[in-house]
Amino acid sequence: MPGRPLSRRTTLGSALAAPLVLAACDIDPPSRAEGTSAPTPEPPEDSALVASVVAALVRARGVLDAAVTAAPDLATRLDPVLVAHAAHLDLLVGAVPESEVPTAEPPSLPSRVPAVLTAVRRSEQRLLREVRTGCLDARSGDLARVLASVAASTSQHAAALADGAAP
Amino acid sequence: MTVLDALQDTLGDEHAALYTYGVLGARTSQAATPALYDALTTGYRRHRARRDRLRVLVEESGGVPVAAAAAYELDGPLLRVAQVQAEAVATEESSVEVLLALVAQSVGGVREWALAEATWSATWQLELGGGPRTWPGAPELD
Repeated sequence: MPGRPLSRRTTLGSALAAPLVLAACDIDPPSRAEGTSAPTPEPPEDSALVASVVAALVRARGVLDAAVTAAPDLATRLDPVLVAHAAHLDLLVGAVPESEVPTAEPPSLPSRVPAVLTAVRRSEQRLLREVRTGCLDARSGDLARVLASVAASTSQHAAALADGAAP
Repeated sequence: MTVLDALQDTLGDEHAALYTYGVLGARTSQAATPALYDALTTGYRRHRARRDRLRVLVEESGGVPVAAAAAYELDGPLLRVAQVQAEAVATEESSVEVLLALVAQSVGGVREWALAEATWSATWQLELGGGPRTWPGAPELD
Protein backbone atom coordinates (compact mmCIF):
# COMPACT_ATOMS: atom_id res chain seq x y z
CA MET A 1 0.00 0.00 0.00
CA PRO A 2 1.32 3.49 -0.74
CA GLY A 3 1.75 6.15 1.91
CA ARG A 4 -0.95 8.16 3.58
CA PRO A 5 -3.49 9.68 1.19
CA LEU A 6 -3.05 13.40 0.65
CA SER A 7 -5.88 15.81 -0.07
CA ARG A 8 -5.26 18.62 -2.54
CA ARG A 9 -5.27 21.10 0.32
CA THR A 10 -2.88 19.09 2.43
CA THR A 11 -0.54 18.60 -0.49
CA LEU A 12 -0.19 22.27 -1.28
CA GLY A 13 -0.82 23.48 2.24
CA SER A 14 1.98 21.50 3.80
CA ALA A 15 4.22 22.29 0.88
CA LEU A 16 3.93 26.05 1.25
CA ALA A 17 2.22 26.80 4.55
CA ALA A 18 1.97 30.51 5.24
CA PRO A 19 3.31 31.74 8.60
CA LEU A 20 -0.26 32.71 9.53
CA VAL A 21 -2.33 30.18 11.43
CA LEU A 22 -5.76 29.72 9.89
CA ALA A 23 -8.13 31.97 11.80
CA ALA A 24 -11.38 30.09 11.37
CA CYS A 25 -11.61 27.02 13.51
CA ASP A 26 -14.94 25.32 14.04
CA ILE A 27 -14.06 23.13 16.97
CA ASP A 28 -11.28 24.60 19.06
CA PRO A 29 -11.42 28.16 20.35
CA PRO A 30 -8.91 30.31 18.41
CA SER A 31 -7.27 31.44 21.63
CA ARG A 32 -6.07 27.96 22.52
CA ALA A 33 -2.63 27.48 21.04
CA GLU A 34 -2.26 24.02 22.58
CA GLY A 35 -3.83 21.31 20.49
CA THR A 36 -3.82 23.18 17.21
CA SER A 37 -1.70 21.44 14.67
CA ALA A 38 -0.47 24.30 12.52
CA PRO A 39 1.89 22.95 9.87
CA THR A 40 5.47 24.06 10.18
CA PRO A 41 6.17 26.84 7.66
CA GLU A 42 8.08 25.44 4.70
CA PRO A 43 11.43 26.91 3.68
CA PRO A 44 11.13 29.96 1.43
CA GLU A 45 13.26 28.17 -1.18
CA ASP A 46 10.25 26.01 -2.04
CA SER A 47 8.19 29.12 -2.80
CA ALA A 48 10.78 30.23 -5.35
CA LEU A 49 10.92 26.69 -6.70
CA VAL A 50 7.17 26.56 -7.24
CA ALA A 51 7.27 29.95 -8.97
CA SER A 52 9.96 28.58 -11.27
CA VAL A 53 7.88 25.52 -12.19
CA VAL A 54 4.82 27.74 -12.71
CA ALA A 55 6.86 29.86 -15.13
CA ALA A 56 7.96 26.72 -16.96
CA LEU A 57 4.34 25.53 -17.28
CA VAL A 58 3.22 28.97 -18.51
CA ARG A 59 5.98 28.91 -21.14
CA ALA A 60 5.03 25.39 -22.24
CA ARG A 61 1.38 26.39 -22.49
CA GLY A 62 2.40 29.29 -24.70
CA VAL A 63 4.12 26.90 -27.08
CA LEU A 64 1.07 24.61 -27.19
CA ASP A 65 -1.26 27.56 -27.84
CA ALA A 66 1.03 28.77 -30.62
CA ALA A 67 1.14 25.25 -32.06
CA VAL A 68 -2.65 25.01 -32.27
CA THR A 69 -2.75 28.46 -33.89
CA ALA A 70 -0.06 27.55 -36.42
CA ALA A 71 -1.49 24.11 -37.22
CA PRO A 72 -5.19 23.88 -36.27
CA ASP A 73 -5.31 20.27 -37.47
CA LEU A 74 -3.22 19.36 -34.42
CA ALA A 75 -5.79 20.67 -31.95
CA THR A 76 -7.26 17.23 -31.24
CA ARG A 77 -3.87 15.70 -30.51
CA LEU A 78 -2.58 18.62 -28.44
CA ASP A 79 -5.72 19.19 -26.41
CA PRO A 80 -4.99 16.40 -23.87
CA VAL A 81 -1.60 17.98 -23.14
CA LEU A 82 -3.18 21.41 -22.69
CA VAL A 83 -5.80 19.97 -20.35
CA ALA A 84 -3.19 18.19 -18.23
CA HIS A 85 -0.93 21.23 -17.94
CA ALA A 86 -3.92 23.44 -17.11
CA ALA A 87 -4.60 21.17 -14.14
CA HIS A 88 -0.92 21.17 -13.13
CA LEU A 89 -0.85 24.96 -13.34
CA ASP A 90 -4.11 25.29 -11.47
CA LEU A 91 -2.77 23.34 -8.51
CA LEU A 92 0.62 25.05 -8.34
CA VAL A 93 -0.34 28.62 -9.18
CA GLY A 94 -2.44 28.91 -6.04
CA ALA A 95 0.81 28.96 -4.10
CA VAL A 96 2.34 31.87 -6.05
CA PRO A 97 1.38 35.47 -5.23
CA GLU A 98 -0.71 36.99 -8.00
CA SER A 99 1.97 39.45 -8.95
CA GLU A 100 4.51 36.70 -9.58
CA VAL A 101 2.54 34.61 -12.08
CA PRO A 102 4.42 35.30 -15.30
CA THR A 103 3.09 35.82 -18.77
CA ALA A 104 4.90 34.16 -21.63
CA GLU A 105 5.70 35.74 -24.96
CA PRO A 106 4.01 33.37 -27.40
CA PRO A 107 6.56 31.97 -29.81
CA SER A 108 6.05 32.13 -33.54
CA LEU A 109 6.00 28.68 -35.04
CA PRO A 110 6.13 27.48 -38.65
CA SER A 111 2.88 26.16 -40.06
CA ARG A 112 4.05 22.75 -41.27
CA VAL A 113 2.79 20.02 -38.97
CA PRO A 114 6.08 18.11 -38.57
CA ALA A 115 7.95 21.30 -37.60
CA VAL A 116 5.22 22.28 -35.17
CA LEU A 117 5.30 18.84 -33.54
CA THR A 118 9.06 19.06 -33.22
CA ALA A 119 8.73 22.43 -31.48
CA VAL A 120 6.14 21.00 -29.10
CA ARG A 121 8.27 17.93 -28.39
CA ARG A 122 11.30 20.07 -27.55
CA SER A 123 9.20 22.34 -25.35
CA GLU A 124 7.76 19.41 -23.44
CA GLN A 125 11.21 17.87 -22.99
CA ARG A 126 12.44 21.17 -21.59
CA LEU A 127 9.44 21.33 -19.25
CA LEU A 128 10.14 17.77 -18.12
CA ARG A 129 13.73 18.72 -17.22
CA GLU A 130 12.56 21.79 -15.31
CA VAL A 131 9.90 19.90 -13.36
CA ARG A 132 12.36 17.11 -12.64
CA THR A 133 14.87 19.61 -11.24
CA GLY A 134 12.15 21.13 -9.09
CA CYS A 135 11.19 17.71 -7.75
CA LEU A 136 14.74 16.85 -6.80
CA ASP A 137 15.39 20.24 -5.17
CA ALA A 138 12.11 20.49 -3.22
CA ARG A 139 12.52 20.58 0.53
CA SER A 140 8.93 19.49 1.06
CA GLY A 141 8.26 15.82 0.37
CA ASP A 142 4.64 16.54 -0.52
CA LEU A 143 5.72 19.12 -3.07
CA ALA A 144 8.31 16.71 -4.50
CA ARG A 145 5.58 14.12 -4.91
CA VAL A 146 3.26 16.56 -6.72
CA LEU A 147 6.09 17.55 -9.07
CA ALA A 148 6.96 13.91 -9.66
CA SER A 149 3.38 13.31 -10.77
CA VAL A 150 3.59 16.34 -13.09
CA ALA A 151 6.81 14.92 -14.54
CA ALA A 152 5.23 11.49 -15.03
CA SER A 153 2.20 13.04 -16.72
CA THR A 154 4.39 15.15 -19.00
CA SER A 155 6.36 12.07 -20.00
CA GLN A 156 3.18 10.10 -20.70
CA HIS A 157 1.74 12.83 -22.91
CA ALA A 158 5.02 13.17 -24.79
CA ALA A 159 4.97 9.43 -25.49
CA ALA A 160 1.35 9.64 -26.65
CA LEU A 161 2.22 12.47 -29.02
CA ALA A 162 5.19 10.53 -30.37
CA ASP A 163 2.97 7.47 -30.91
CA GLY A 164 0.58 9.53 -32.96
CA ALA A 165 3.40 10.98 -35.00
CA ALA A 166 4.91 7.60 -35.86
CA PRO A 167 4.28 6.64 -39.50
CA MET B 1 6.13 7.08 7.36
CA THR B 2 9.90 6.93 7.14
CA VAL B 3 12.08 6.44 4.11
CA LEU B 4 12.64 2.84 5.25
CA ASP B 5 8.87 2.29 5.37
CA ALA B 6 8.52 3.71 1.87
CA LEU B 7 11.41 1.55 0.61
CA GLN B 8 9.82 -1.58 2.10
CA ASP B 9 6.42 -0.68 0.63
CA THR B 10 8.01 -0.23 -2.77
CA LEU B 11 9.91 -3.53 -2.44
CA GLY B 12 6.69 -5.32 -1.46
CA ASP B 13 4.99 -3.84 -4.51
CA GLU B 14 7.87 -4.99 -6.71
CA HIS B 15 7.52 -8.58 -5.45
CA ALA B 16 3.85 -8.45 -6.46
CA ALA B 17 4.68 -6.88 -9.82
CA LEU B 18 7.23 -9.58 -10.62
CA TYR B 19 4.75 -12.32 -9.76
CA THR B 20 2.11 -10.63 -11.92
CA TYR B 21 4.41 -10.20 -14.88
CA GLY B 22 5.46 -13.83 -14.57
CA VAL B 23 1.85 -14.95 -14.77
CA LEU B 24 1.04 -12.57 -17.63
CA GLY B 25 4.09 -13.66 -19.62
CA ALA B 26 3.12 -17.29 -19.22
CA ARG B 27 -0.31 -16.52 -20.72
CA THR B 28 1.01 -14.56 -23.68
CA SER B 29 2.12 -16.09 -26.93
CA GLN B 30 5.33 -14.67 -28.34
CA ALA B 31 4.30 -15.89 -31.79
CA ALA B 32 0.74 -14.60 -31.74
CA THR B 33 1.31 -11.27 -29.96
CA PRO B 34 5.04 -10.46 -30.22
CA ALA B 35 4.69 -6.78 -29.29
CA LEU B 36 2.83 -7.57 -26.08
CA TYR B 37 5.24 -10.38 -25.26
CA ASP B 38 8.19 -8.03 -25.70
CA ALA B 39 6.53 -5.35 -23.57
CA LEU B 40 5.92 -7.85 -20.78
CA THR B 41 9.50 -9.11 -20.99
CA THR B 42 10.84 -5.57 -20.75
CA GLY B 43 8.56 -4.86 -17.80
CA TYR B 44 9.63 -8.03 -16.03
CA ARG B 45 13.30 -7.14 -16.40
CA ARG B 46 12.76 -3.59 -15.18
CA HIS B 47 10.89 -4.74 -12.09
CA ARG B 48 13.49 -7.39 -11.35
CA ALA B 49 16.24 -4.75 -11.48
CA ARG B 50 14.18 -2.52 -9.22
CA ARG B 51 13.63 -5.30 -6.74
CA ASP B 52 17.35 -5.97 -6.57
CA ARG B 53 18.15 -2.28 -6.08
CA LEU B 54 15.47 -1.88 -3.42
CA ARG B 55 16.87 -4.79 -1.43
CA VAL B 56 20.21 -2.97 -1.33
CA LEU B 57 18.55 0.34 -0.42
CA VAL B 58 16.59 -1.28 2.41
CA GLU B 59 19.72 -2.88 3.82
CA GLU B 60 21.62 0.39 3.51
CA SER B 61 18.82 2.02 5.51
CA GLY B 62 19.25 -0.56 8.24
CA GLY B 63 16.28 -2.76 7.42
CA VAL B 64 15.71 -6.39 6.53
CA PRO B 65 14.22 -6.55 3.03
CA VAL B 66 10.61 -7.66 3.09
CA ALA B 67 10.21 -11.09 1.50
CA ALA B 68 7.96 -11.99 -1.38
CA ALA B 69 4.74 -13.84 -0.68
CA ALA B 70 4.29 -17.31 -2.11
CA ALA B 71 1.57 -16.05 -4.43
CA TYR B 72 -0.48 -12.92 -5.12
CA GLU B 73 -4.12 -12.48 -6.04
CA LEU B 74 -4.71 -11.33 -9.57
CA ASP B 75 -7.93 -9.90 -10.97
CA GLY B 76 -10.03 -11.94 -13.34
CA PRO B 77 -9.22 -14.77 -15.71
CA LEU B 78 -6.46 -12.90 -17.58
CA LEU B 79 -6.86 -14.91 -20.75
CA ARG B 80 -7.57 -12.33 -23.44
CA VAL B 81 -4.98 -9.85 -24.66
CA ALA B 82 -7.06 -6.92 -23.37
CA GLN B 83 -7.21 -8.46 -19.90
CA VAL B 84 -3.48 -9.11 -19.86
CA GLN B 85 -2.78 -5.53 -20.94
CA ALA B 86 -5.17 -4.11 -18.35
CA GLU B 87 -3.52 -6.09 -15.57
CA ALA B 88 -0.07 -4.94 -16.69
CA VAL B 89 -1.22 -1.32 -16.80
CA ALA B 90 -2.70 -1.69 -13.30
CA THR B 91 0.62 -3.11 -12.10
CA GLU B 92 2.48 -0.09 -13.45
CA GLU B 93 -0.08 2.28 -11.93
CA SER B 94 0.50 0.70 -8.55
CA SER B 95 4.24 1.10 -9.07
CA VAL B 96 3.88 4.80 -9.78
CA GLU B 97 1.87 5.28 -6.57
CA VAL B 98 4.38 3.59 -4.25
CA LEU B 99 7.32 5.25 -6.01
CA LEU B 100 5.74 8.67 -5.56
CA ALA B 101 5.37 7.91 -1.86
CA LEU B 102 9.08 7.06 -1.87
CA VAL B 103 9.83 10.37 -3.62
CA ALA B 104 8.02 12.15 -0.78
CA GLN B 105 10.03 10.35 1.91
CA SER B 106 13.47 10.44 0.33
CA VAL B 107 16.14 12.91 -0.70
CA GLY B 108 19.14 12.97 -3.00
CA GLY B 109 20.02 9.82 -4.89
CA VAL B 110 17.08 7.74 -3.66
CA ARG B 111 14.57 10.44 -4.65
CA GLU B 112 16.26 10.78 -8.04
CA TRP B 113 16.06 7.02 -8.57
CA ALA B 114 12.42 6.86 -7.42
CA LEU B 115 11.49 9.74 -9.76
CA ALA B 116 13.17 8.04 -12.73
CA GLU B 117 11.44 4.74 -12.02
CA ALA B 118 8.06 6.41 -11.48
CA THR B 119 8.42 8.23 -14.80
CA TRP B 120 9.36 4.97 -16.52
CA SER B 121 6.37 3.06 -15.12
CA ALA B 122 3.98 5.88 -16.01
CA THR B 123 5.30 6.08 -19.57
CA TRP B 124 5.45 2.29 -20.00
CA GLN B 125 1.68 2.15 -19.46
CA LEU B 126 1.31 3.53 -22.99
CA GLU B 127 3.25 0.55 -24.38
CA LEU B 128 0.73 -1.66 -22.60
CA GLY B 129 -2.34 0.02 -24.04
CA GLY B 130 -2.84 2.58 -21.29
CA GLY B 131 -3.44 6.28 -21.83
CA PRO B 132 -1.80 9.45 -20.45
CA ARG B 133 -3.11 10.83 -17.18
CA THR B 134 -3.06 14.22 -15.51
CA TRP B 135 -1.88 12.98 -12.10
CA PRO B 136 -0.21 9.58 -12.42
CA GLY B 137 0.33 7.98 -9.04
CA ALA B 138 -1.67 10.66 -7.20
CA PRO B 139 -5.34 9.69 -7.60
CA GLU B 140 -6.44 12.09 -4.85
CA LEU B 141 -5.48 15.01 -7.10
CA ASP B 142 -7.76 13.96 -9.98
